[in-house]
Amino acid sequence: MTVSVKFESVTKILGQSKAVDNLTLNIGGGELFFLLGPSGCGKTTALRLVAGFYSPDEGRILFNDKDQSRVAPHKRNTGMVFQNYALWPHMNVWDNVAYGLKMRRVSEGEKKKRVRHALEIVHMQAYAERMPNQLSGGQQQRIALARALVIEPDVVLLDEPLSNLDAKLRIEMRTQIKDIHRKIGRTMIYVTHDQAEALSMADRIAVMRRGRLVQAGTPHELYTRPESAFVAEFIGGTNLIRGTLEEIGELLTVRTEAGLVYAKNGVKGIARGASVFCSVRPESLRLTSAAKSSGQPPSGANNELLAEVQSIMYLGDNEQYSLRLADNAMVRAVEYNQPSRKAQVGERLTLQFDTHAVVVLPEEELGD
Amino acid sequence: MTNWLRRYDLNAANAAVLLFLWLFFIVFMLYPLAYVFSNAFFTDSGFTLVFMKLMFSSPNNTIILANSVNLGLAVTLLTTVLSLPLAFLLVRYNFRGKGLLNGLILIPMVLPPFVGAIGMRQLLARFGSVNLLLLEMGVISQPIDWLGGGSFWGVVILEALHLYPIMYLNLAAALANVDPSLEEAAKNMGANSFRLFSTVTFPLMLPGYFAGAIIVFIWAFTDLGTPLVFEYREVIAVQIFNMVTDLHQNPMGYAFVVAVIALTLFFFYLSKRILGGGRYEMLGRGHVSSAARPASPTMTVIAYAVVLGISALALIPHLGVLLTSVTQRWFLTVLPTDYTFQFYKDVFSHDLALLSIKNSLLLSSLSTIIDVVLGVTIAYLLARKRVPGRSVLDALAMLPLALPGLVLAFGYVAAFSATPLDARINPVPLLVIAYAVRRLPYMVRAAYAGFQQTSVALEEAAINLGATPMKALFQITMPLVFANLIAGAVLAFSFAMLEVSDSLILASKESYYPITKAIYALLGRIADGPYIASAMGMLGLLLLAASLFIAGRFFGRRMGELFRA
Repeated sequence: MTVSVKFESVTKILGQSKAVDNLTLNIGGGELFFLLGPSGCGKTTALRLVAGFYSPDEGRILFNDKDQSRVAPHKRNTGMVFQNYALWPHMNVWDNVAYGLKMRRVSEGEKKKRVRHALEIVHMQAYAERMPNQLSGGQQQRIALARALVIEPDVVLLDEPLSNLDAKLRIEMRTQIKDIHRKIGRTMIYVTHDQAEALSMADRIAVMRRGRLVQAGTPHELYTRPESAFVAEFIGGTNLIRGTLEEIGELLTVRTEAGLVYAKNGVKGIARGASVFCSVRPESLRLTSAAKSSGQPPSGANNELLAEVQSIMYLGDNEQYSLRLADNAMVRAVEYNQPSRKAQVGERLTLQFDTHAVVVLPEEELGD
Repeated sequence: MTNWLRRYDLNAANAAVLLFLWLFFIVFMLYPLAYVFSNAFFTDSGFTLVFMKLMFSSPNNTIILANSVNLGLAVTLLTTVLSLPLAFLLVRYNFRGKGLLNGLILIPMVLPPFVGAIGMRQLLARFGSVNLLLLEMGVISQPIDWLGGGSFWGVVILEALHLYPIMYLNLAAALANVDPSLEEAAKNMGANSFRLFSTVTFPLMLPGYFAGAIIVFIWAFTDLGTPLVFEYREVIAVQIFNMVTDLHQNPMGYAFVVAVIALTLFFFYLSKRILGGGRYEMLGRGHVSSAARPASPTMTVIAYAVVLGISALALIPHLGVLLTSVTQRWFLTVLPTDYTFQFYKDVFSHDLALLSIKNSLLLSSLSTIIDVVLGVTIAYLLARKRVPGRSVLDALAMLPLALPGLVLAFGYVAAFSATPLDARINPVPLLVIAYAVRRLPYMVRAAYAGFQQTSVALEEAAINLGATPMKALFQITMPLVFANLIAGAVLAFSFAMLEVSDSLILASKESYYPITKAIYALLGRIADGPYIASAMGMLGLLLLAASLFIAGRFFGRRMGELFRA
């Protein structure tokens, strides 16, 4: 049976500030759930509230609708993987992994079977006798995972488990952790500041900012239908073009200083005349030569804006363009797998983008 | 109220422990000091400055004050001159046998200078070895009076030869902490070696230097044993020692102690705030590569010559003690003419010697147990818990570093006279507590360093897997800091065995004499006294050497952190 985790209006004060501020979340049983946000957004505090290292100042934490808020951490049956792994340096791999079972007074035979099985899951059977300092970072990470899994926890908690690994290993471990999640089918809560990690692994993601929940949803929902400029910017990166909402019809019409922008999608409830951001992903911008452009706002599915190329960065499989719009605002565009360069620095051209690639968002202050 | 409480990890157990610690510090540190102050400024007829005026107006007293300050400054200066080249050679160069030389430098710490003074007196007497050697070689025709003229320089030299390892440890640590990339940046900007040292390296070393310098200064400024043995009586420490016996008739003792405290605080403040400047956090990130480079053959020879030369100098007093302890007959010759191990046997049969060894073992063991319990508790609270008054607790635990043993012992005698703890009836409880308080900072630092290096996450991981907080503490954290605790306890024990000033002041009856007081008493006896005293000094030396070796094994390079303010 899987265990669901519920945050009910949870507030936690650390020092003078609200590290977690009125957080409500429902994490389904068996989900691989991500808490995502910049450093200091409260995601680790939220995780430690689930583990029981903090108890909420307001609100409740429930496992399967049972209140856990005042349950001591050693009685919660969560398995946590710490950011720096926290392997005990005075015990070998086997003893590290067996510790939780010892605390649970599991019989000797059962213990052996389960430790061996846990080491198998993380492909570390051969290292049982090693001391932690004889292991590489990636190996330590896997032992930390095995140690958390072996107790068959109700909830597996992962606190930036991959942040200390090099880039290549990090990508490899993403697949492995996903596989393990599929195999054991337990609820996992995973904290990270790496949006690519979250997008590629999560069943669902909660984006946090300044202790508050900003938006929760599947990776696809968050990427295609962000509800705030912060989410659009934090997940995938975007261009935010400032303007005023002029008309609400089949398309939303936004007057910007660079020209009119038409959008298919927008956050509900924005009034006419409100200040807004038009969010357009860099990969949605197409560079076309200025000559072909009519210079007039098109009536069809396309937006067109004039721009001048400021700089180009070549990255192998793609090229990134920095462009200056008519009102001097900067935007970024990406071109993938181009056989030849589309434009030169200083060239004036037209940016085309579909109306369904634009999301109209309420204006807000950005940064953490 | 609840908001205020929520900021701290306070439960009933923590609160009780905290209360107990406060009580301990109030009774055994603050109250004796307050008692001394009140007696220095108050008489039956109220507040008076008459003793302080007398203190600073009587030419006799001002000379005494000046002597002590000069003594402290001269020793600090001499230790700096001795240890600066050592630190540079051993931190900046790699060569064969460096570890051995590093160990050699620490050796002089193992002998309390007042024991060394016994040996020195033998060597430098009017017809001692040095004069006789010089006479034989025809360098001089009349014996030189080395110890005459008040013996000021004799005391300075002995103390400096004892204390320069502490200065070295601090300078070496300060130098090793200077990020080499900062120096490289200065060289890159065009600084030559001299400008590099004067504008970058030296300023960065200053906080570390003064942290060690103030310890050396306070030690020399308030040392009692060495001036006593050299019969250099015109210093504060000896004056206070003499006034302990009649402190109820003569309140000038209190005034002297207040003067010591005031001057100590003044120099402490000077070193920390003004000379030491701000502590520079090293802003450079990433790996600090070792600044040591392989030494050329010439440099290796220079390094060996400097270290061996200074060590040989520092070992002269020890040699004197060693010779004295095995002398059968040593009269008007450079070296003894007959040798014997009789005095080592005597140590274990002589009533006073044997008794004092037993006493010291008991006193030091008890004080070490107190240190371990208090030190671990305080360090744990400081490192792991948010408790109210954290910084005050920290300051109180570190205060004994700046609180001379002399002051503490005087305060105890005065404040607890005519109480159940009266030192003149049974000095054991106060001796144990004085030893414990004096060495508490070492234990706190050793344990604190252990807790700091042991990530809290290790304990949390155990709790997360089902261990109770107590189990996690004892199964995870304690085993990991055990080495630190052992090292701290070994140091606390061996320094307690050789505590000088508080032993001399507090131990009032012969049946309670610890080793150091017995050595002092034996020195005053004619016949075999000095010889047995030397034999006991040698045994103490071996004990301290063994424990420093053990502590050094545990602490390695971080040994210097223990001897700084």
